[in-house]
Amino acid sequence: MSSRRARAIVIVISTLTIALLPLVVQDRFLLKIFTFVGLNALVVVGISLLFGYAGQVSLGHAGFVGLGAYTAAFLVARLDLPWLLAMVAAGLVTALGGMVLAVPSLRLKGHYLAMATLGFGELMTLGFKEADFVTGGVNGFSGVPFPSVGALVLDTPQQLYWLVWSVVGVALLLAGNIVASRPGRAMRALHGSELGAQASGVDVVGVKVRAFVLSATFAGLSGALYASIVGFISPSLFTTAASVTFLAMAVIGGSNSLAGPLLSVVLLTLLEYLDALVPGISRTTAEVIQAYQADIYGLAIIAVILFAPSGLAGMWRRTRSTV
Amino acid sequence: MRNARWVVALALVVSMTVGMSGCGAQGTQGDSKTAEPIKLGAVLSLTGTYAALGTAEKQALELESARINKSGGIDGHPIELVIEDDATDEAKAVAAASKLIEQDEVVAILGATGTGQSMAIRGDVDRAQVPQISMAGGTAITQQFDANVFQTPWSNTIVVPFVLDAIKKSGVSQIALITDTGGYGKDGKPIIEASAAELGLKIVANETFNPGDTDMTAQLTKIRASGAKAVLLWTAGKEATTIMKNAQGLGMRDGATAVPFFGGSGQARLEFGEGSGDAAEGFTFGTGKSLVSTNWGPDSEEFKVVSDFAKRYEAAYGQAPDIFAGHAFDAFLIVVNALKAAGPDADGAAIRDAIEATNGLVGFAGTFTYSATDHNGLTTEDLSLYRFAGGMWEPAE
Repeated sequence: MSSRRARAIVIVISTLTIALLPLVVQDRFLLKIFTFVGLNALVVVGISLLFGYAGQVSLGHAGFVGLGAYTAAFLVARLDLPWLLAMVAAGLVTALGGMVLAVPSLRLKGHYLAMATLGFGELMTLGFKEADFVTGGVNGFSGVPFPSVGALVLDTPQQLYWLVWSVVGVALLLAGNIVASRPGRAMRALHGSELGAQASGVDVVGVKVRAFVLSATFAGLSGALYASIVGFISPSLFTTAASVTFLAMAVIGGSNSLAGPLLSVVLLTLLEYLDALVPGISRTTAEVIQAYQADIYGLAIIAVILFAPSGLAGMWRRTRSTV
Repeated sequence: MRNARWVVALALVVSMTVGMSGCGAQGTQGDSKTAEPIKLGAVLSLTGTYAALGTAEKQALELESARINKSGGIDGHPIELVIEDDATDEAKAVAAASKLIEQDEVVAILGATGTGQSMAIRGDVDRAQVPQISMAGGTAITQQFDANVFQTPWSNTIVVPFVLDAIKKSGVSQIALITDTGGYGKDGKPIIEASAAELGLKIVANETFNPGDTDMTAQLTKIRASGAKAVLLWTAGKEATTIMKNAQGLGMRDGATAVPFFGGSGQARLEFGEGSGDAAEGFTFGTGKSLVSTNWGPDSEEFKVVSDFAKRYEAAYGQAPDIFAGHAFDAFLIVVNALKAAGPDADGAAIRDAIEATNGLVGFAGTFTYSATDHNGLTTEDLSLYRFAGGMWEPAE
């Protein structure tokens, strides 16, 4: 079987599984968890482009998620704008934010870029806390209505699940096209060697800005969707800890891949909700896993760096080439 | 070889899907089989910063639900308590509330332990139309009014006027204010400012500090120079001890330059008295009467409720209940009282209505009377003044 056909089969099967899941799963909380998986996936797809392909580290992506969430929440709940318009606005605002964060990336590399993005994330959290006339401050922002288009209100767990995963699907298509074409090659060239890429005529500035803008927009859309699905947001949801989790998912998933990070998002997000997923699991087991979640992420990252530097995607590639 | 691999992969996907449908079906079966017990959910901080508070609350809730069930439950329906840990984290609180509502299908949620977590689960509570009874003291919980959300502790909106009134009665008209910029002080500050203006008290110095600060001499020096005749300290943080020690160092605690210090529920903590030593001698604060149950008078219903609960709690856990256990006791009592009125088959909305109709219910924190505009339910009648003497509080009057 050719590798291209294998790939197509995997894509078709996973698309069908994801699309048909709500018809099989009746438990509303499980559907909500799978919806959260989709929201995380949207962020991580963006980070994979930025980090996995273009090699730019961001420790502040939760800031973009928050920016999108508060923008959409404010426009829909306070200014009564249509939901779709608020989504577009959230996307635009975070795209702008991505452009701003791209500026330091033009001058900074490696640890220094990581520090700058970390600072950005912290600044955003501070902003969410202090701008209480818009964000509601530390007490949070409540009363965000469900997504709606005209008279159609999406308020069942099934509808929300499909909504989120459709957006993820579009994002994946977009990202897949990018990485398979000229901009994607430019990103990989940048990842390999910035100087080399520049010497080969790659518009390094343009690639960096586009990667930041795109990944910020995905994160912002995820936040905007989260706000309307859960109905409540607060600054503590968009902290550096969340940024690190997103980056961890992308790292464990592997570079130069979209499928690897996607798989790692699914696994790592579900880990958090183990007690709800596995009916028979003992309460203490679930609690121990949840209490050590950050440590599990950390160990997984160390293991990946030591034993499988290119993540889940790399492991998959290796097994395939040895068969 | 490769084909075999794909067959395995396909089989895995199929088995996963079937497995999920299996647990979906199990959920529905469970619902029809367990229609008998009344499911109550609790979102508590059993780990994280508020672990001590959440653990006390859990013990109180388990104690009380076991007692109710032993005496026949609600019209023969036992109460099934489903407790979820939010790890003192807003995101986890949202997930916990979501699980309780959508997977366990509880009819009411007790919690959360902290103000932030209590605010965070509001979205889920509103959408599911189930009542929430928070055990956190933040004013925002009932000030940012939500028809589905109730609260059991004494909130700043009643404690502040009570303490300011006591200051005024002591013959002082110029006060200094020192608050923390974290949750409790930030919550109290605007209420203190508004309430002082109403009572005709002049705030001549208005200082703040950040949680974690280790020296407040600068703020206290300004306060000393302001001519304030009393200092109101509003914080629940451990920095309160530093403030008292700094004040002592500046000669503000004894002798000719001594100034009386006042505070609120945030000072109803043993370590504040122990840590401050004689620096807190005479420190006056206002909080619930139940801090010293004899405050209520030996024949009162309140005394009976508080001391009965304390006896049961001590017998079960070998320690006296703190105020947090008391706030959980109240949350449970209020829901049970509403369930008795609304009947065991009542849905979330009906229970909410019954809770709002709570009138004159005597609990740990005092007498609860909720209304369509008041979801805190307590009044200054339920408060009392205390004074530190020898590192421990005693009734001030």
